[in-house]
Amino acid sequence: MWGSLDISTSGMIAQRTRLDVIAANLANRDTLVNAKGEYDPFRKRIVHFASGDPAAASPAGRRLGVHVAAIEIDENALRKKHDPDSPFADANGYVDVPDIDGVTEQVNAMAAARAYEANVVAAEAIKSTMAQALRLLA
Amino acid sequence: MIAQLTNAGALPSLEMTMRFAAQRQRIIAHNIANFDTPEFVQKDASVEGFRATLDRAIAQRRRRTGGMHGELAWRETRELRHAPGRGLEVVPGTPVGGVLAHDRNNRDLERTMQDLAETTAAFRVAADLYRAHRDVIHSAIAERV
Repeated sequence: MWGSLDISTSGMIAQRTRLDVIAANLANRDTLVNAKGEYDPFRKRIVHFASGDPAAASPAGRRLGVHVAAIEIDENALRKKHDPDSPFADANGYVDVPDIDGVTEQVNAMAAARAYEANVVAAEAIKSTMAQALRLLA
Repeated sequence: MIAQLTNAGALPSLEMTMRFAAQRQRIIAHNIANFDTPEFVQKDASVEGFRATLDRAIAQRRRRTGGMHGELAWRETRELRHAPGRGLEVVPGTPVGGVLAHDRNNRDLERTMQDLAETTAAFRVAADLYRAHRDVIHSAIAERV
C-alpha cells in the first residue's frame, strides 16, 4: 500500500515538470539571444512522458507511475517575422523568432493543471485508505 | 476454536474486499498518473469478476461449514491470483473503454475519478464493517474473562 503513494507522487512531479516547461516556453516567446548574448532564438520545449518511475523508493512504485522520459527541443519551431530595423534581420528584413503559440501553451497548461489535481485527488484517496487500514490495528 | 474466531462470519470476505479495493486503487492511481503518457492504454480490474469470485467462494463455504466460519477457498482467475504471504494479487486485464486520443491514450478522466471514488468508498465500508465485527468479538471475549 505504501508504494501506491509513489505512483501519485510521480504523476504530480511529471505534471509539475510539464508546467515548468510551458512556463519557460511562454516566458521566452520573444527571446532572440542566448545567455552569452549571441543571436540564438529560443526553441520551444516539449515534455514526453513514459510509464514507470525509475526514481521511486519501492519496487511497485518503479514498475508503476510515470516519469519524464525526455524534454525535446523543437529545432524547427521558428517563424519569419518582418522587422527590418532589428539588428538580427537578414538581407530581406526578416528575423527568425520563436514560434510559440500562447493559446496552445495556455491550453496545455490547463490540461497539466487538471492532471496534477487528479493525481492530488488520487493521493488523498490513498491516504484515506491507509488511515482506514491503520485504524484496524489501533 | 481460535481459528473460528478469526474467520467467523463475514470477516474473510471483508478482508478479501479490502485487499481487492486497495490494489484496484493502486491500478487506478497508475492510470491517473499516465493520463498524458503517449500510447498508454489503461487497464482496470473487473469489479464484476471479483464479485462473482467472492460469491462463489461464499457459497462454497456455506456448503462446507454452514457459513458461520471458515476460510474462503476462492478460485484463481485471469485477474485474481493467489500470492504467497499476501493472499490476493490483482492483475489488471480488463480494457478501459475510453476513446483513443490523438496521442493513442484511452484516458477517460471522469470515469477514472468515479472508479477511484467508488473503490475508496468500498474499502472504507469494508474496513468499518470489519472493525465493527472485530469489536463484537472483543466484547464477547471480555465478557468471558
